[in-house]
Amino acid sequence: MRSKRSQEGYLLIDHRESPGVSADLVHRSGKDAPVVGKNATFESATITCSHCQAVVILNPLRTRPRNYCAACDHYVCDRPGCLTECLPMKKVLDDLHAASVHLIGKEPFNG
Amino acid sequence: MARWSANVPTWTPVAVADTTNFTDAGHMSLQGGTATQRINISEVYMGGQAGASSPSIMLLARDSTVGATLSVGRLAALDAHTAALGTNPVVFNTATTKPQRSATLSLLNLSFNAFGGIVRWVAAPGEEISMYGASASIGETSLSAFTGGTPGLMGSHFILEPF
Repeated sequence: MRSKRSQEGYLLIDHRESPGVSADLVHRSGKDAPVVGKNATFESATITCSHCQAVVILNPLRTRPRNYCAACDHYVCDRPGCLTECLPMKKVLDDLHAASVHLIGKEPFNG
Repeated sequence: MARWSANVPTWTPVAVADTTNFTDAGHMSLQGGTATQRINISEVYMGGQAGASSPSIMLLARDSTVGATLSVGRLAALDAHTAALGTNPVVFNTATTKPQRSATLSLLNLSFNAFGGIVRWVAAPGEEISMYGASASIGETSLSAFTGGTPGLMGSHFILEPF
């Protein structure tokens, strides 16, 4: 049986030899990006949302439960659209490919 | 299929808002080589090369407008025995029709300082970011700077697997 942790990616932001970025800069941008300051290193597990494929940088201080889709057996992100129904991106792409094959009448060769 | 490296050895991101034309040589974008090509991105790397402090808000995102008339960039197979692809994915940072980052389809938000900073994201096997075709919004993915920082010189690569 696969562990949920086997779905985790890895993120490194290394500012050991750098002035880093300030929390103020990141907050002003309105983007939810990790703040790694001067001489600091940030390592974190990440998960890829099964439904939209956004990469979620796991916050170890989060106390709310992670969203999980039992239908595709996968973590999903906090976007409302990803919580309402199970439509994995892999299925969307498979369906697109099947439609393409149907249209062109043969399996395309891309290498 | 085999893994490939798409890379831009040295470039300076130009900060733009979402759904705004990218500036030539100010982004790194990857587009499918055909209308049916599937690509998985398994690694994103950024290495700072700036000579002064350059805090940057970098986004890996799908593009809502894809580039056209592209100047093809560097793409190399990781395995020396990899056979040539039928059609290569296209990594580019110059185009006649400029790509635009989607306002909603951000995949990875990163901030780093290009003065000595290093960023590396690696997906778990099976958890890669996927693309299909060469049309908006799932046919092109870009690494670019969001407004607010002062981006500086850097190098970057994607590790990808085309199907």
